[in-house]
Amino acid sequence: MRKLARTVTISGVALLFSSSLALVGCSSSPSEEEMNQLNNLKGEVASLQKEISAKEQQKAAIEKTLAEKGAKLKKCADDQQIVKQRLAAK
Amino acid sequence: MKLSKMFVIVLAALLVGSFTIAVAQEMTKEQWQQELQSFTKQRDDLTVTLKSLTDQIAAKAAESTKLDDDYKKCMDELYALVGADAQKAAAFRSEIEAAEAKANELTRLSDADLAARAGEVDELGKKLESLWQNKLSLLPEFWDRLTALNDKVKSLKDALTRQVKVYTVGTWSRDRDCLWNISKKKDIYDNAWLWPKIWQGNRDQIKDPDIIHQGQKLQIPKGNELTQEEKAAARKYYAKKAAAVEPAPAK
Repeated sequence: MRKLARTVTISGVALLFSSSLALVGCSSSPSEEEMNQLNNLKGEVASLQKEISAKEQQKAAIEKTLAEKGAKLKKCADDQQIVKQRLAAK
Repeated sequence: MKLSKMFVIVLAALLVGSFTIAVAQEMTKEQWQQELQSFTKQRDDLTVTLKSLTDQIAAKAAESTKLDDDYKKCMDELYALVGADAQKAAAFRSEIEAAEAKANELTRLSDADLAARAGEVDELGKKLESLWQNKLSLLPEFWDRLTALNDKVKSLKDALTRQVKVYTVGTWSRDRDCLWNISKKKDIYDNAWLWPKIWQGNRDQIKDPDIIHQGQKLQIPKGNELTQEEKAAARKYYAKKAAAVEPAPAK
């Protein structure tokens, strides 16, 4: 009886081991060159994201400047009107 | 025997576990293919986005340059309305800044120090009037600053006015009041030689400094020395007196 149990245990272990090997061996994995290609692509994407983020900041800064310049220009036009009125009132 | 059985089971579990992890971590060709497609699409999309952003920034930069030009043109037209240019406006701005600095300096003085520098308040008032005469003062930028300066100068003048003492002239028989004696009083100037200050401060009611009347309310200007105008008036007075007492030429 004890001998039988031992045999079953050893057989079970052997079965598990061989099935694991089969699983690893049967699935095809990409080559090193292909992995490099993927990694390069990931790097390119990360770099583009960074560049876009910087451009968005630059765009926001320019838009802020544009708003300020627009306000200054409007004030100048308003000032012209005020001066004309004051000159007329003199 | 039991120990060896246990050892075999643990070893088997370790083997199975490590292989399972290895399999889980390893990328399959299909997964690689999917990731490659996914990242390629991302890269293409991001490239398009980047180009679009770059174009937008270039367009906005051009817009910014145009706004600069428009603003310069607008300001030139504004200055031209009052017959000036940017250079004249800058010079006018400096003059206002100097007047503002002077007003701030005088505002920080104590009452006594302000009284001693009353002449500077007058000068500042005159300077302000001359600034208002310039057509550039019509520009809102300067108009607002000059208006604020007006208020400051008025406050300074009010402060000086509040400080002026009033002395009511008594009788000669009782008080021995004349400008010399009034000036000599401890609570006036404590210095008889400052009498021209009272005279010049009350020109509207003292025509001849030798003649003052009982009940006259004389303003006592602040200060502990004579101004140039007061000195000049005193010199003129003494000269006149000297001429009046010169002996008649011998016959």
